[in-house]
Amino acid sequence: MQLFLEQLLNGAAMGAIYALITLGLALVYGVLRILHVAHAGVYAAGAYAGLYLYSLTGSLFLAVAGAMVLCSLLGVAIERLIYTPLLKYPPFVPLIGSIAVFLALEEIFRLVGGPYILSFPAELPFSGITLRGVVISPAILSIYVVSGVVLLLLWFIVTKTELGLAMRATSQDRDVAGAMGINTSLVISMTFVLGSAVAAVAGILVGIYFNQVYPTMGAVPAYKCLALIVVGGLGSLPGAVLASLLLGVGETLLIGYANIPLPRDSLAFIAMIAVLLWRPGGLLGNR
Amino acid sequence: MSDYSITILSFIAIQAMVACGLNVIVGYAGQISLGHAAFFGIGAYASALLTTKGGLTFWMALPLVILITASIGLVLGMPSLRLREDFLAITTIGINFIVESIFLYVPFFGGALGIGGIPSIYFFGTRLRGANFLYLCLFFLALTLLISRRFTKSWAGLACFALREEETAASSMGVSPVRFKLVAFVIGTAMAGLGGALYAHQMRFISATDFGFPLSVMMLSMVVLGGMGTLWGPVLGALILGVLPELFRPLVDYRMLLNAAILLLMIRFQPGGLLGEESFLRHLFSRRRREAHHG
Amino acid sequence: MDNLLLRLEGVSKHFGGLKAVDQVSFSLSPGEILGLIGPNGAGKTTCFNLISGVYTPTLGKIFFEGASTGGFPPHRMAALGVGRTFQVVKPFTSLSVLQNVMVALGLSRYRGVFASFARWETEAVRRQGLSLLEEVGIAHLADMPSGKLPLGNQRCLELARALALEPKLLLLDETFSGLRHEEISLLSRLVEQVRRKGIAVLLIEHNMKVAMGLSDRLVVLDHGRLLAQGSAEEVRSNPQVIEAYLGKGASSHAS
Repeated sequence: MQLFLEQLLNGAAMGAIYALITLGLALVYGVLRILHVAHAGVYAAGAYAGLYLYSLTGSLFLAVAGAMVLCSLLGVAIERLIYTPLLKYPPFVPLIGSIAVFLALEEIFRLVGGPYILSFPAELPFSGITLRGVVISPAILSIYVVSGVVLLLLWFIVTKTELGLAMRATSQDRDVAGAMGINTSLVISMTFVLGSAVAAVAGILVGIYFNQVYPTMGAVPAYKCLALIVVGGLGSLPGAVLASLLLGVGETLLIGYANIPLPRDSLAFIAMIAVLLWRPGGLLGNR
Repeated sequence: MSDYSITILSFIAIQAMVACGLNVIVGYAGQISLGHAAFFGIGAYASALLTTKGGLTFWMALPLVILITASIGLVLGMPSLRLREDFLAITTIGINFIVESIFLYVPFFGGALGIGGIPSIYFFGTRLRGANFLYLCLFFLALTLLISRRFTKSWAGLACFALREEETAASSMGVSPVRFKLVAFVIGTAMAGLGGALYAHQMRFISATDFGFPLSVMMLSMVVLGGMGTLWGPVLGALILGVLPELFRPLVDYRMLLNAAILLLMIRFQPGGLLGEESFLRHLFSRRRREAHHG
Repeated sequence: MDNLLLRLEGVSKHFGGLKAVDQVSFSLSPGEILGLIGPNGAGKTTCFNLISGVYTPTLGKIFFEGASTGGFPPHRMAALGVGRTFQVVKPFTSLSVLQNVMVALGLSRYRGVFASFARWETEAVRRQGLSLLEEVGIAHLADMPSGKLPLGNQRCLELARALALEPKLLLLDETFSGLRHEEISLLSRLVEQVRRKGIAVLLIEHNMKVAMGLSDRLVVLDHGRLLAQGSAEEVRSNPQVIEAYLGKGASSHAS
């Protein structure tokens, strides 16, 4: 029972991280209808930037803040230089561009940071706690706390602020939103800022939790999170979070605990196919 | 020509064949497929298994290989091609991952060790190696190009062009979107299967990781680079992306980055590819022709 | 049961809570020109989409030549004899004008998988295509890239494509909007020609003069519901119609 609970908590932690990455994807898809595969590159960049800044300053806070800023810049650069000019073409054109950016980023990480797995030994501000015999490590606790705060902030921005309203309007109908006086190009850039900053946080959390930062760390999330936005319902933010949590828990329990002989990473795609067959709109989709 | 160059050229010819298949799907019918490597793999494994465990020769196995690959393409395509573009892209990525997983984990396919000892191809008693094998590949490449060209001249091809441009208008003219997308998909995957079979017999040993998602991206890059929807585009793309790594041998560490950079530049500034409508190559040549006229 | 070409019976289309078309019934006889009019958002294009198969009716039935066709996909409706043009023109931009028409000429080939492997660029098909382009007056533009045509010619091309299907019913969606006088006259004459061939026409038009001039009868929609139907005279003097277009109180002014 104890093992089950621990695995459950591990799974939920993974789910929280998936949620952080997937939300960025869902936000970008919402406003631009583009599958932002390069987002996983931004996520990995966050891990590298965080590691670098931490080794430079020794302060985790500065590392996270700095990484968020850098990744926001990266995200907006991708949007301005690649996506926006390609919007007039059929959707697979920006998709190919996104894949190319992702591949280039992976290579840059390899060339600059080395092909080795780097470790991220960080002094976490939390110490582990033990609840009824279930051990929660500092890393897991940090994930819960940080992702909880970030998700709350994001929820607040999207639902309670003018920017959030503008974002939702733009994702419903870009032209109409523009006609209503919304500066859609600014809104789009802000969407990338938010999504990328959140991805940076996810990258750092993963880097610390697994103590691994390596060039291809974005490869699996790149495609897994795409499957997750489909499962959650393209364009649905709560759906993205729900799908992420379910997958995180599902992966850990089904494969780590129940030892079902399926490759861990294919579960997301299997879930996606199941959803497409049974409920094409996704779990919480409304399109 | 050295043995090594011949091997590389054979490899490029095979890739060109598979890229032609992808071009039928992406270029002619306008459907995104990011899982084409899976069908390349299905063809390779089918031929490998039929010739090792099945005891057939390459030639006996070939029609079966194409049939198997095309059938799987049909089965997977039917539900997938009904999906909207975004879903289709993700679904094809999923297909790639799942097929690769099946090759990797199901013992029948040799698991992580793959399948080895794949026999050579014999043609009337002569073992086809080196230059002879290259001629075989070129023969099949020519066949593939002929089929592609014939496709563009058929009503099915015209229907696909119409679907690519304006699906709603095309369907209101009697073109069933699912049916014709499926036709293109089956043709494209069959071509990939053919290439896969040749690949298996060239390498004599295959494993699941040869057919992963990065290869699908590479193939799409070839089609994009050369020119989506043109006849020779995929061949040109395969040639360039096959030769570049050899030219850049000293820069071998930067090879992947250069590939990605080229793809990025192409898609950003010339999405139609080198042989496409607005390509700078065309402008270059048309300007030269005009100057020659006036001169 | 009837010799009506098209019959809508209590047809509704709901999009979530929005009733784009609400219990609409009307019919069309062979060779008739029926005008579908109404203010913006009345549900006219939705009706077209329901008839041509783009949408499936939420409620009600659609009968074409006596057979129920609600839910049939667009390519099937085309095969049954329904041709349409689009409000926002949809040419196959990478194809030439002639090739655009030739796509529609393949209707019989698209039905069989193997029939569709035959060559399409034959002399016979070219001639057919050119004669259709002649009918609508753009044969001289046959080899031009279709995306580069001015609007008036684009509309003619849409018409030619629909006619290539040898339809029994032609749906014209705002074919006259945005055109100059001469173009409107030309197209009006073409529509009359079409009717003389025995093809029934259902047209959506905002231009009242054109709609009332061409149509034998009119059907007025407002907010998805059928407001009135009848001759131009009847519809013009119907107080509800006047209100729908000009707002409340206008009908008392008009009378």
